[in-house]
Amino acid sequence: MVAHAVLPSPHAHSSSQGLAIDLVDVTKTYAGRVHALQGVSMQVRRGEIFGLLGPNGAGKSTLVKIMTTIVRATTANGTVLGAPVGHRPTLARVGYLPEHHRFPQYLTGRQCVEFFGAMSLMRRAARRTRAAEMLEVVGMSAWADRRVGTYSKGMQQRTGLAAALVNDPELVILDEPTDGVDPVGRREIRDVLLAMREQGRTVFLNSHLLGEVEQLSDRVAIMLKGKVVRQGSTSELTHESRMWRVIIDRAAPAWASEFGVVSLLADDGRTPLADGRVVIEFKSDAVERVQELIDRLRAERIAILGVREARESLEDLFMRLVRDVDGRAKAVGAERPAGGR
Amino acid sequence: MERHDLYREHLTLKDIAIQTGALFLSAYRELNARKLFWVALALNALVVGAIAAIGIDEVGISVFGYRLGMPGVNTKLFPDGALHKLIIDFVGVGFWLSWLSTILALLSTASMFPDLATGGVDTLLSRPVGRGRLLLTKFATGLLFTALQVTVFAFLAFLVLGIRGGAWEFGIFVVVPLMVIFFSYLFAVQAVVGLITRSPIASVIVALLFWIFIFLIHAGEQFTLHGRTYSRLEIAAIEQKIETLQTETAKSGLVAMVESQRADADNWWLAHTVFFSIKTLVPKTTETAALVSRALAVSANIGSEEDDAQDDTEARRQRGFFRSQFFNERKLKAAIEEEMSHRPVWWVVGTSFAFECVVLVVGVWYFRRRDF
Repeated sequence: MVAHAVLPSPHAHSSSQGLAIDLVDVTKTYAGRVHALQGVSMQVRRGEIFGLLGPNGAGKSTLVKIMTTIVRATTANGTVLGAPVGHRPTLARVGYLPEHHRFPQYLTGRQCVEFFGAMSLMRRAARRTRAAEMLEVVGMSAWADRRVGTYSKGMQQRTGLAAALVNDPELVILDEPTDGVDPVGRREIRDVLLAMREQGRTVFLNSHLLGEVEQLSDRVAIMLKGKVVRQGSTSELTHESRMWRVIIDRAAPAWASEFGVVSLLADDGRTPLADGRVVIEFKSDAVERVQELIDRLRAERIAILGVREARESLEDLFMRLVRDVDGRAKAVGAERPAGGR
Repeated sequence: MERHDLYREHLTLKDIAIQTGALFLSAYRELNARKLFWVALALNALVVGAIAAIGIDEVGISVFGYRLGMPGVNTKLFPDGALHKLIIDFVGVGFWLSWLSTILALLSTASMFPDLATGGVDTLLSRPVGRGRLLLTKFATGLLFTALQVTVFAFLAFLVLGIRGGAWEFGIFVVVPLMVIFFSYLFAVQAVVGLITRSPIASVIVALLFWIFIFLIHAGEQFTLHGRTYSRLEIAAIEQKIETLQTETAKSGLVAMVESQRADADNWWLAHTVFFSIKTLVPKTTETAALVSRALAVSANIGSEEDDAQDDTEARRQRGFFRSQFFNERKLKAAIEEEMSHRPVWWVVGTSFAFECVVLVVGVWYFRRRDF
């Protein structure tokens, strides 16, 4: 793949101010009793990569499908690219790669990408040029004239990405884009997504792969049981988990417990510290609090061997949200009535 | 601020034309990829080829040059390619196109709508195309199968008639739109059942059962029409007979017969009204197929079998289920034909189309409401 070099952007996406997606109180109830979405509000800024996280059944795909008119919302306020949710002509400016997509097996990769270009209202000359460019971008040029039915899962995924990008979309919605793709392919897809951001496109990324989302996304939302439970940049989300570890060379004074927990274990939480070292660890967003502890330790001539700041990773935060204190998984899927299926 | 090329408040006609063109091109490619399409096409050629293999001259009839022992069958009996026209109408249209080819078309297009309802629809629905338009365009592309098959049949039949029969009948191409209309009745049912059940097999079975159902309705309507007409003719004939009789004793027996026949006539009328009402609501496949023969007779001078003018009506034997001692079978047949000729083309096609539209509206309603 040659993301940076070949991914063309014939349009100056200068309308990238404001919000690409602004959802307010989106609900979806299936069969009158399964509450898949319970008032989802979400804002995605233009030109950012936005990651949507959540366990299976949390309502991520339902939300994506509502934005792309594949599922009808029970209630939906808000806009996608400035048009009301469900405004069909606006979909010409949206690229969508569904999870488990299935393209017509009788078409070649090129025909497939051109077909979806036409369905997105592209004129013939434009879609031919653009399809060839996109197949090049996703590394499928060599196989472009073979039937999709002969493609591996990874090749189908790459072709799907080309089809999602063929209409030069302002907003790209990708549902598990690296599903079935080998590590090299994943890296290449990541590069394509980053290139899209550089060009001012908005990328909405729905993925189970926490590391991938954390690495790529400017901001993320975490969904549980049809609700957005956290939303913001990774640093904003992990802000509350900011932790300090102050290592000293002897037993901690009695007053140290005012600051936090005194531990004899290393960072991994398992290995005992050597040479009588002790760690005073505490959660605090204020640097002044650390300064205060250091001052008091120095006043008692206690040697400070190290001061470390630690934060939860997105994965830690996610796991904390989906698990109870005792480590068991919470009920995270759509809410069903008691006695329901 | 530069707007994206594809910025739209509403879709234009050109936008719709681009999408429709893409869907038709994709449908053509799909047909091209299906073996059954080519099998059906080859069978079309085979049927017309078999007809072309039949030769006729002043001496008699031959198949692949081998004379058959049918000395009376010659160009005196069938002048100007009449034999080939008759075979094309009876075997080609009446049997091949109206039955076997239609079943092949139903089988070949069976997976089209279940596929639409299951796989790959996400990517399509996420594009700026309305679901109703998508479904109806898909339906139209499904008719492409029959249109291509029948066009090939008509073209080959045209060549056979011209080369073997010496009659270049351009009117034979009327079979293309009429057979597409014929197929569309059943295809609409298959499409909607396929969409709802998502099962190609279920959709074919329901379409075939529906075809049998409307055939039975047609058969019931024709039977009760015969009964009703028979009663009417019988009453008229007996009354005419009564007027010719002199004695009251002789008349009384026939009067009782008339009374009994009137009671029967009321029953036939009721039964026929019920069947006719149902038939009005459902597609008229048999009559649409008959329209093909009628159209061929008019536009291509094919078919239009007439009774021999020299046929001695009085000498003609009583036959069939409805027998009368007061009038012959030919009179009943003539009365039925007159009744049928009063049923206009708009009634046959219009009411069938109305049913098709209702089925498609149900399909569109369902498709628009469904979540995928």
